Amino acid sequence: MADEEGAVATQDEPAETPELEAAAGHGATLHHGGEHTHPTPVKYVGIAVLLGIITALEVGLYYIDMPEGLLVAFLLVLAVLKFALVAAFFMHLKFDSPMLRRLFITGIILAGVVYTVVLFTLRVLI
Amino acid sequence: MQTAIAPAPHTPQPGDHDYAVTGIDSRKLGMWGFLASECLFFGALITSHLLYRARAPIGVKTPHEVYDIPYTSVSSFVLLMSSLTMVLALAAIQRGDHRRLRIWLLATAFLGTVFIGGQVYEFTTFTKHGVNLSSSVAASSFFLLTGFHGVHVTVGILWLLSLVGISMRGKLPADKHLQVEIAGLYWHFVDVIWILIFTVIYLVPNNH
Repeated sequence: MADEEGAVATQDEPAETPELEAAAGHGATLHHGGEHTHPTPVKYVGIAVLLGIITALEVGLYYIDMPEGLLVAFLLVLAVLKFALVAAFFMHLKFDSPMLRRLFITGIILAGVVYTVVLFTLRVLI
Repeated sequence: MQTAIAPAPHTPQPGDHDYAVTGIDSRKLGMWGFLASECLFFGALITSHLLYRARAPIGVKTPHEVYDIPYTSVSSFVLLMSSLTMVLALAAIQRGDHRRLRIWLLATAFLGTVFIGGQVYEFTTFTKHGVNLSSSVAASSFFLLTGFHGVHVTVGILWLLSLVGISMRGKLPADKHLQVEIAGLYWHFVDVIWILIFTVIYLVPNNH
């Protein structure tokens, strides 16, 4: 119990192990489990700004008068770009084990293929 | 200049139950497997709405006719930014900064709550226009899709708040950052699903 209280008292202080200090000093974060280093908070903010700009672009395209096929193509490309940015940087797929990447991409491809076939079969996409 | 520090690969040891033979924590592997299965779950809901979104009795509006795109755009932006606060919470616990961890977790939960509040308001507005769960097949499939997404966000908010509580009790030390990372994976997934819903359901024209 006393140990737990001790842990409470010291938890709010940033850890000062040599490894973490070294990582903080270089603007990087250290990880276990064979993973590569994650991006710095500044880079996360940059990604978020980019996501915001893409969202604004999507909404802007919605109000522009253009052929429907072109509009849909632009919107889907931008959505895939946003999806990829969040998955790669915020979910760390770019830095984690390739096995996790393959697992998730398998789910995406399986869902994409199955439901695209359904939509073509039922003539929604034609 | 930012430099990367490559940690030594984790070698599973006897009695190290959290790591599978792959060297990946089994909880993290399990979460990614769950998220892969969720792609199929939400794929089914999105497909069913695409199939039925124009089907409504004569004189009954479809959800597409009552969308408020500027409003939903702001709502989508709020959820997108909650992914930033979530990843900053993870970065904070990885630095051992528990005060900022709690601040960012609370910020994420707050942004998620704003999104859910916006969804409740949107549903209320739809109901005033005569678009409700039973008014048409188009409306049913819409509410099923967005409702299930809303339930996922709500579960995420409760998860984040529970992490804040655990942290305040001092039981979330820096070496347990994986707990925050797994919650973050779930939260980001909910965000990427909304990215698809917002584009495919709200922005793509419905001319069928």
